Amino acid sequence: MEFITESHYFRVMPFLLEGLVWTLLITFVGLILGFILGAIFGFARLSKSKLIYGIATVYVEVVRGTPILAQILFIYFGLSDLTGINIDKITASIIAIAVNAGAYIAEIVRGAVYSIDTGQEEAGRSIGLTRNQTMRYIIWPQAFRRMIPPLGNQFVISLKDTSLFSVIAVGELLYMGQQYYGMTFQAFQALTMVCVMYLVITVPTAVYLRRVERRLDV
Amino acid sequence: MITVKDLHKSFGSNEVLKGINAEIKEKEVVCVIGPSGSGKSTFLRCLNLLEEVTSGDVLIQGENLTDPKININDVRSRVGMVFQHFNLFPHMTVMDNITIGPIKVKGMKKTEAEKIAHPLLEKVGLSDKAVAYPESLSGGQKQRVAIARSLAMEPSIMLFDEPTSALDPELVGDVLAVMKDLAQEGMTMVVVTHEMGFAREVGDRVLFMDEGIIMEEDVPERLFGNPQNPRTQEFLSKVL
Ligand SMILES: Nc1ncnc2c1ncn2[C@@H]1O[C@H](COP(=O)(O)OP(=O)(O)OP(=O)(O)O)[C@@H](O)[C@H]1O
Ligand SMILES: [Mg+2]
Repeated sequence: MEFITESHYFRVMPFLLEGLVWTLLITFVGLILGFILGAIFGFARLSKSKLIYGIATVYVEVVRGTPILAQILFIYFGLSDLTGINIDKITASIIAIAVNAGAYIAEIVRGAVYSIDTGQEEAGRSIGLTRNQTMRYIIWPQAFRRMIPPLGNQFVISLKDTSLFSVIAVGELLYMGQQYYGMTFQAFQALTMVCVMYLVITVPTAVYLRRVERRLDV
Repeated sequence: MITVKDLHKSFGSNEVLKGINAEIKEKEVVCVIGPSGSGKSTFLRCLNLLEEVTSGDVLIQGENLTDPKININDVRSRVGMVFQHFNLFPHMTVMDNITIGPIKVKGMKKTEAEKIAHPLLEKVGLSDKAVAYPESLSGGQKQRVAIARSLAMEPSIMLFDEPTSALDPELVGDVLAVMKDLAQEGMTMVVVTHEMGFAREVGDRVLFMDEGIIMEEDVPERLFGNPQNPRTQEFLSKVL
């Protein structure tokens, strides 16, 4: 018993649990906002208006074409440099996840809506539903089901991306692990446990998603 | 009931309908036949504006569909459409497929809408399938649900675009029987079909379309028995 409680594998845990809370918080809040952005820009990418389509395309391409590390530094340092307003690290992290994931989710939304057979829209319109009703009651529910696997995948990606925020000293999982081995010089044990903590979230998610995917296939 | 005047429809530079004139009276059953690509589906789809009309007029119960001020959702709710591939809503039960129109378009309560749906399900012979999902139905059953879904809006006109073409031969009969009942009840129907037997038996009039125009039209006995236009003769010699 004494052996276990003395072990660094064990003693690092309070740090990591605190880090995990921040990691999950940034991921969840960031992704909820990212989903809203993604839905808006995803529909914009389906718009017949060239202007709306153009704006959404610029957003998607700029975000997807630049590294998320540059994005977080841009949001945290770049914007405060420009505006003189300082935002706190957690807010900056949440914005970074939202803006980054939003672009990928926009493509998920666009692809899912686009994949629904045009006959569905025609059937909806032919019984007298308006465009919006057809989208809301016919297209969107079907599209949303198809979005679940790629959204889950995006959750895993964004969760791992939060580790990059250690560069601005956000107290997330990886950063807390680094803090621990900075004090104890037990890098191997601390980082092993950091990885275990990520895996505890990501592996069950992946397994669950594969099951959903198989069910959607039939 | 339906008046079509000099209807033209182009997709880009491809002119598909080249001046269609037609008059469909109340309670009439008009069958449209013709070779593939002749514009039959396009013509039908112009009758409820699933395709935008390039030029000409389409009048439904006196209302001109090409009038930009027209409420197209309202017109569509009075013109039912049945598709070759059924296009049922796969995420809804049979009952929900049928009631969504009355609920969302007419603002009916769910229970009211279901009161309309039950006799319709009975009419198409699927009373036991109300809570089933489309994926568990055969093609013929799906098409009958699709017909019930259109009827739930209590349309005054029904359009059918090759309603039996995607069905296994043994399932065709049930769908045609439902359509025949509808015709006998006095529904105004426009039916694009390859079922010459149905056209001959149920149709009041048959339109033969080719290359974007109506080449010949007549009562079934004469059009099938003694076609005048050489194109009609050629087409019928292939399909009969
Ligand atoms: N949305 C569209 N965009 C471009 N061309 C189209 C479109 N819909 C139909 N067409 C073209 O219009 C022509 C007529 O098509 P339509 O579907 O009306 O023929 P059809 O008589 O119904 O044939 P079929 O018996 O094969 O169903 C075809 O050449 C087709 O390629
Ligand atoms: Mg067709």
